[in-house]
Amino acid sequence: MNSAPGTTTAGHGGDFDPRQAADLLDQATRRARRQFAPLSPLLFTFRAVVVLVVFGGFWLSVRGQHPYTGHISGWAIAVAVVLVAINIGWTAWVVERAGSGVSGPAQRKWQAWKGIMVVAWIIGYGTTAPLYHAGVSHPVWGLYPASAPLLIIGLAGAAVAAVFRYWPLAGTCLAIVVTAVAAGFGGPAGSWLITGIGLCAVYLGFAAFTAWRQRRSMVRP
Amino acid sequence: MTTELDPLIHVPTRLKIVATLAALPDGDALSFTRLQDMLGLTPGNLIVQLRKLEDAGYIGSTKTRNGSAQKTTVALTGKGRAALGAYTQALRDLLGGLDRDGRPAEADRDHVAFRAGTADAPGAQDGDGAAASPGHGGIGHPSGQAIR
Repeated sequence: MNSAPGTTTAGHGGDFDPRQAADLLDQATRRARRQFAPLSPLLFTFRAVVVLVVFGGFWLSVRGQHPYTGHISGWAIAVAVVLVAINIGWTAWVVERAGSGVSGPAQRKWQAWKGIMVVAWIIGYGTTAPLYHAGVSHPVWGLYPASAPLLIIGLAGAAVAAVFRYWPLAGTCLAIVVTAVAAGFGGPAGSWLITGIGLCAVYLGFAAFTAWRQRRSMVRP
Repeated sequence: MTTELDPLIHVPTRLKIVATLAALPDGDALSFTRLQDMLGLTPGNLIVQLRKLEDAGYIGSTKTRNGSAQKTTVALTGKGRAALGAYTQALRDLLGGLDRDGRPAEADRDHVAFRAGTADAPGAQDGDGAAASPGHGGIGHPSGQAIR
């Protein structure tokens, strides 16, 4: 690399010209952003595939049912269990790596966010138990799991993210809520497909946005 | 246009340290061991560089003791963030004024100046991995042993 006359730093580890400095600054910043990010673009891309495969599989299981029974094939459940388990493991690893050695107010907010979201997930899907106990009809039983938990989880996530001023995350959670509302109009079978496609689009959008934020240069436009 | 690059930051190792800490949200701190792990530096080298940054008020360090173990965390201060912002702006200005071969463009050629390497700049006389500045009491080895 050519150095501009007078633009190197004598005595500072040899020639370190502004271009090298800009490259190093961007490289170090991107690496740190990736490692500190609990919301990895790659993970969200994987989640986009997961929701498409899992909810699409559920839709394939129930779409031909006349009358609708809500019975989901064993293979679809097996695929869902495997993919969700991988997702949970990967998420735990990313979150652990992002928070390792980090302390401070933002870290505490993130811990609070995680706790609230775990509670929202439990409430969202836990409510299926009393519904089952109450013996609700098959269409209700089919419609609820595909959309209602996402409403609860999405609203909780959006509210907490807004309080903490994590605006991209708040927007993503609101998009999940919109997806859940739209899925409700798809009927017991169609709701699975709408949820799968909608969540896939939301996750891909968030992954693209996060990747852009992580890769943008500190120096160059 | 006068473009100045802060000599305290315009050193590869310290630039990486500052860039890494700046990636954390304002107010958050990073443990010494995680920072060392991320940058692949020896503890001695990292301590030397951190001490220079702390002397300038660019970073702050906190030591906490949990039983026999001592943990050191470092964070970029407001002054450090401002310095990195100014350094980044200076780089932008400078790169905007360089031609394709990396030479200053004609209009800027006589006006490009760097504080880096000047004798009056803090830390300018120290290279990467140079001896620690005397008279500092902040950064110590994470094991708890003070390194001076």
